[in-house]
Amino acid sequence: MYIKNCLLSCMLCWLVFGVSSGAFAQKDENVPAGSTGKKLTLTEAGLCEDLKGNKPINRSVVFSKNLEKIYCFTSFDPVPEEMPIFHKWFQRDVLKATAKLVLKPPRWTTFSSMRPKDRDQGPWRVEITDQKGRLLKILRFSVTD
Amino acid sequence: MEKLFLFLSSIRWQDLVDIVLNSYILFRLYVLFRGTHVFRVLMWIALLWFSQRIAVAIGLILTSWAIQGITAAAAFIIIVVFRNEIRSVLQARNLKNIFWGVPYQTTKTPIETIVETVFELAEKRVGAILVFPGTDSLDEMIQGGIRWDGLVSREMITSIFWHDNPVHDGAVIIEGNRIKKVGAVLPLSRRNDLPTYYGTRHRAAAGLSEITDALVLVVSEERGSIALAKGSGVLTVHGRKGLVKALEEHVGFRQRQWGVRKKERRELIIASLASLALITAVWFSFTRGQESLVAFDVPVEYVNRDPGTQIVDTSVNSVRLGLSGSGAFIKSIRPEQVKVRLDLSNAVVGRNSFTITAENIALPPGVILRKVKPSIVEITLDVPTEKLLPVQVDWSGRLRHDLILTNAKVTPGNVKVRGGKTILQGISTVYTEKVGLGQIEKSGSLKVKLALSPATLKVAPGSKDTVTVDYLVRIRERE
Repeated sequence: MYIKNCLLSCMLCWLVFGVSSGAFAQKDENVPAGSTGKKLTLTEAGLCEDLKGNKPINRSVVFSKNLEKIYCFTSFDPVPEEMPIFHKWFQRDVLKATAKLVLKPPRWTTFSSMRPKDRDQGPWRVEITDQKGRLLKILRFSVTD
Repeated sequence: MEKLFLFLSSIRWQDLVDIVLNSYILFRLYVLFRGTHVFRVLMWIALLWFSQRIAVAIGLILTSWAIQGITAAAAFIIIVVFRNEIRSVLQARNLKNIFWGVPYQTTKTPIETIVETVFELAEKRVGAILVFPGTDSLDEMIQGGIRWDGLVSREMITSIFWHDNPVHDGAVIIEGNRIKKVGAVLPLSRRNDLPTYYGTRHRAAAGLSEITDALVLVVSEERGSIALAKGSGVLTVHGRKGLVKALEEHVGFRQRQWGVRKKERRELIIASLASLALITAVWFSFTRGQESLVAFDVPVEYVNRDPGTQIVDTSVNSVRLGLSGSGAFIKSIRPEQVKVRLDLSNAVVGRNSFTITAENIALPPGVILRKVKPSIVEITLDVPTEKLLPVQVDWSGRLRHDLILTNAKVTPGNVKVRGGKTILQGISTVYTEKVGLGQIEKSGSLKVKLALSPATLKVAPGSKDTVTVDYLVRIRERE
């Protein structure tokens, strides 16, 4: 219960096409707090149709425009200190939205999402960067019929 | 008065040269071909052409078509039928005479010598036939004969018609002071009203004179008489005076030469003025006739571009030109005659704006530029460079509902792309052509082409424009 409260109090991000969608950080229940001096490490990143608890449901690279949401989740271990990271959503080479997500030590899982629409069909990518703009990962996907 | 001044000021120096040059060409054709059959037929063709134009003007469709066909056929036939006459006109004169000289018809025929010799042959009862051509070509009328080209003399004529000479039965052709041919065979007259005592020589003389304007002298071997054939008449010559007069009238006389030249000169002046008037009339009918307007879509050509740059974008690829001019000129415009060229020597990397003016447009003579749309062209220049870009699959369509595409690996993952530096700066991914999801049922692999956009981008040498996509498919999780 404590953990859930922690998660809910974490952060929010806004998203694509004027429709902002929340993004919530989730603290891993079994992970001890990290110590300073360690390097921020992205352990897992992906795109999925849903999130249940901490688990991504139906990880994919092709999503129907009829889905309610498309999620981009990222897990970091360790997180040396509280810091923001960014999920930048691009349709082709046009930046459509940026989600600022705050990570907290020692480990953190967080996500952002978009609500696809008809006009969103085509190739997309999400660039995951740290607070200094360093690129941590690029995730590519397509929105289709 | 003002209108006249306006009209005169609209005439360019090129127009004057045009009229004078063509008038001179027409005049030279007259000088070269006057008096020939070709000239007479050409006059008929000109008349036919004129009739055709009238028929067109008053709307006689069938008549104009028919006359047009006849004129075209006649022009072709004239070359075939009169090829010898045309050749003789052109061959007989050197280049200077074709372009400049006026061939006056000078008379040098030694009439006295010929008359004395003919009477001597008659006395000795030696048969002879002598042809003095007029202006008609005899090439098609006479057969055989041996080219001679010897000077006329009493001895020569006597020896040609001497009984033992192999060519004594044929005719001699005398032009000026030269015997051009000997032993020529003339066409025989088919007339029934000729005297029965006329032999083959008389019939030959009558035959040639009937169909040409040549004068033919015949010496009878049997009766020692002299006859003269001209036109449709054959006359017996009684005295030297009569024969001299007849020959002088036919070939001309030196004492009257100046008079003849004067007459010829007058004729040539009239011909030159007529040529000038005719060409001027034709020129005006072409250039100042009904004015037509037409719109042309012309592609814009860019010249003098810095070789270190490339055009990456233009606001238009072609412009619409509004042109006007006489109907004949407008109809005859060929697309390659109209060009729009923009000089890019002063263009810089980035966006450039050019206004299209008359200086940028090449038009055929007689055509006037009225409008350019659009008149401003935007051109973007860039410096060509190469960039390594990741490749992403552009999926499309609908995947079967119970399937999920979990991963897609592209090989090679990156390709080198060549294009404008500014454009490449804004591009971070190369996409494939659309890949349909409808046919996918299980994991697999496919080859797909890259879809480079904008079109100025190209795959750099060494990179392929096709990639392999290995994809993984699994059954969707049920919640």
